[in-house]
Amino acid sequence: MEGLIGKGEIRIDAYDKVTGKGLYASDFVNQFPNLAHMKALRSPYAHANIKKLDISKAEALEGVLYIMTGYEAGLDWDQFPKASIIAKNETLWAGQMVALVCAETKEIAEKAVELIEVEYEKLPAVLDYYAAIDPNAASVIDPEYETRPMGFSDRPGDRASNRVSPNVVGAFKMHSGDVPAALEKAEVTVEGEFWTGKKTASPLECANAICRYDSDGGITMWSNGAGVHGVIKQGICRILGLQESMVRIIQPYMGGSFGSRLNPYVEVITALMCLRTKKTVSFQFNREEMFIGAPSNWPCITKLKLGAMKDGTIIVNDYYLAEEIGACVNNTFFSGRLSSSGAVPVYRFPNLRMDTCAVATNTVPAAEYRGLGCPEGEFGIECLVNQLADELGMSPVEIRMKNIIDKGERNAFGELITSIGLKKCLQSVADAIGVDEAPIQDMGVWKKGRGCGVGGKQNTPLGRSEAEVWYNSDGSLQLFISCDENGMGATTAMAQIAANELGVPISEVKVTKGDTAITPYDNYSASSRTTYNTGNAVKIACADLISKLKEEIARVYGLHPTKVEIKGKKAFLAGSYVQEINIPSLFMPTSMFTQGNWGLQKGTPVKGHGLFCPAPIHQWDENGLSDRVWNWFQYSAAAVEVAVNEETGQVKVLKIASSADTGNPINPKLVESQIEGGIHMSIGFTINEEHVFDENGKIANSNFSDYRLPTILDMPTNENVHAFINPDPLPDGPYGAKGMAESITIPVGPAIAHGIYKAVGVRVTGYPMTAERILALINEKKAKEAAK
Amino acid sequence: MERMEIELTVNGRKHTLYVSPDRTLLEILREEMNLIGTKKGCDDSNCGVCTVLMDGMAVKSCTILIPQANGHSITTIEGLERENSLHPLQQSFIDNFAVQCGFCTPGMILTAKAILDENPNATEDDIREGLHGNVCRCIGYKKIVASIEAVRDGEYKESCGEV
Repeated sequence: MEGLIGKGEIRIDAYDKVTGKGLYASDFVNQFPNLAHMKALRSPYAHANIKKLDISKAEALEGVLYIMTGYEAGLDWDQFPKASIIAKNETLWAGQMVALVCAETKEIAEKAVELIEVEYEKLPAVLDYYAAIDPNAASVIDPEYETRPMGFSDRPGDRASNRVSPNVVGAFKMHSGDVPAALEKAEVTVEGEFWTGKKTASPLECANAICRYDSDGGITMWSNGAGVHGVIKQGICRILGLQESMVRIIQPYMGGSFGSRLNPYVEVITALMCLRTKKTVSFQFNREEMFIGAPSNWPCITKLKLGAMKDGTIIVNDYYLAEEIGACVNNTFFSGRLSSSGAVPVYRFPNLRMDTCAVATNTVPAAEYRGLGCPEGEFGIECLVNQLADELGMSPVEIRMKNIIDKGERNAFGELITSIGLKKCLQSVADAIGVDEAPIQDMGVWKKGRGCGVGGKQNTPLGRSEAEVWYNSDGSLQLFISCDENGMGATTAMAQIAANELGVPISEVKVTKGDTAITPYDNYSASSRTTYNTGNAVKIACADLISKLKEEIARVYGLHPTKVEIKGKKAFLAGSYVQEINIPSLFMPTSMFTQGNWGLQKGTPVKGHGLFCPAPIHQWDENGLSDRVWNWFQYSAAAVEVAVNEETGQVKVLKIASSADTGNPINPKLVESQIEGGIHMSIGFTINEEHVFDENGKIANSNFSDYRLPTILDMPTNENVHAFINPDPLPDGPYGAKGMAESITIPVGPAIAHGIYKAVGVRVTGYPMTAERILALINEKKAKEAAK
Repeated sequence: MERMEIELTVNGRKHTLYVSPDRTLLEILREEMNLIGTKKGCDDSNCGVCTVLMDGMAVKSCTILIPQANGHSITTIEGLERENSLHPLQQSFIDNFAVQCGFCTPGMILTAKAILDENPNATEDDIREGLHGNVCRCIGYKKIVASIEAVRDGEYKESCGEV
């Protein structure tokens, strides 16, 4: 690899972050002396009619500027992000806004919320998949809304077949090979039904936005939302009908996202309040609201059957998946297609049938969360592959080595796999943990077990990334980009790419990012695409810059541009009377009176522009097949040693190894950080995190005391945490790099499940694997053994 | 609520404030003193991003009512940096890549300082015990522990000034 690529360059934002000097969106509240504050009144019931809503006392309170309700005139709520739709007549989840107050101070806004009078009539609520799928379930969907099924599922119970639960809201179907015939041919089959809990991404900075009303009627917003151009600005312009020139979005440092801030549930409504009040307004979510008023992930239910030959070759996967999407009425996004995509890139599955749908419930609307449903969708597959290995007396590593797709093969969709380093990933983690050896049992009631899993995640070929690079007249460089910096280090990686292209140290590159009035278009950082999309755009911009600079220099010396080589501040001239020049010396000084100011001038940078868009998909055929459904695939493997307390059911991860196929990493230290962070996030949701509901269908654990995030004590000690990078270069990635952040979270859950099985002999079929659930399984097993 | 007089030493400077006693130390630091390096994440002392040092002890400023801080000495992240020189822990966090989104970082560094001030030879277990009230969502803690151990092992005294 060349120059700076593959080097652990220090993060360019680290100084700001260790000194507390870096401003996050929530720090901007201090910048506006007359800031108005928003506060929401939220429904205490999962499903209720609003019998009465009286805001008159609240409106009369001095200092109240505006109260918005579902009856606000001139709005099409259908267009709003689901979690920001204010209830009208009926509330669809506990936590939905019923009114939104804007007042001169936080205290007045809070007082006004208390003065709003509401009478609810409780309605039957559906809180999970099993309740939602019942043909006689109450309808989550407001009769005012039309559902728009996207697919053509004919599974019994589906809405399209009219034998339906009214809550099924989309479907996708794919059939490759001949599944019924393959199931007959299979010498061994395993099957199961798997579930996953509902979780909240919980970035440490709560969602927030500040919107300034500018004197010309435009707005300027600071928020910790993702996608300044592609999500927030476009959303505001489209939904509120503002001219593009009148909307400026700025993204300061973001205190995490993990996908959850890709949904502009704060931004659009805050902009609307700003327009209504003509004031600078602030909407700061508190932690409870991050659970009840902000999107959760979407849990998945999978039912599947794998068929294999006795030598371990898996020949068939019959796969059903349902996404539980909360109160996503008027759904145009969910069909199960995203979550089920993980069934395709990892194993050959010459016969694969996928039948997927989404179901609505009276819970907080779902949105993106690291992995986009793949950790949930692949959990069952990985568990069954482990079970198959056990039943065939094979190693879980060996069975995978036999069935993992090789580079150059086509997956079940028919797509060519151009980069897959998964076998190396698996071998590295299996070796580090010793998956095929049994641990020594030396912890009393704590029984040890080892397990492993693998995972793959598609990259969606969406988006458009632009970059601009300036070569200033003193030779310094500026890079302008609009990708998100959720914390993963994208800005450092982008600076590294630009510095490498120009042959300068990274310290020479000043990055300006995330300001729609200044930085060029990028849609958003999602689907682990930033390194690939924005990285390619930066490379193209640098090439454009270098070409322009060569042309200018060549003109000065009467050369063809191909005779000029550029490295940092130096240009090397072939065939000229001058061999080497200092580029800044070619920029002519300028004063108030100089004329003829063409060519290279002091104070005027030479600019390069880059634009990169991945090739679009090929629409799939009637069997759901196509040679381009996704873009490329990232992969990860994990192996663990766990200890399970036989008496309490408690699970501890003692050792963990995780490996990523990132393509060639731009900055391996940043990749390592993402792997280690992915490990601990997965341990959290595998063992602990889930929403628990009270009798009104409200999340009962909407705080960090009761929804317990993993702390350092949930992680193994440092010597027992291993992160490996096993790259298989992606031909179309910048320097062969691809994304990696999401895949890490896929294999940890099934690896822990298999470790638990090896430790205490119970098969886990879902997560979180709380002590209570594991103990129940242990007791069930004991009862069965006693009955024998 | 009727305001009361509060004496507070913050980062070595004495301040006299007249504030409502129902406000938290976090609110006063952020909203009245503009010390925005101290973050707010949860309101119930579970996440640790609001950690500051009170008389050298790591405390969660979101659950300290301002009268409880009366007469005490507070150190925030802004108080660690010396003239043109970072605190060793700050430099170590940079060098060891212990930062991603950075929202937990000021609280982590201050807790780390309290751990090492109390026990300069803190073991990994001591560090884990001391840090378990500070949540990080991005980094997975390994690099944070490594950063603290590097300072404990004396790797940073020279370049970064006094601990």
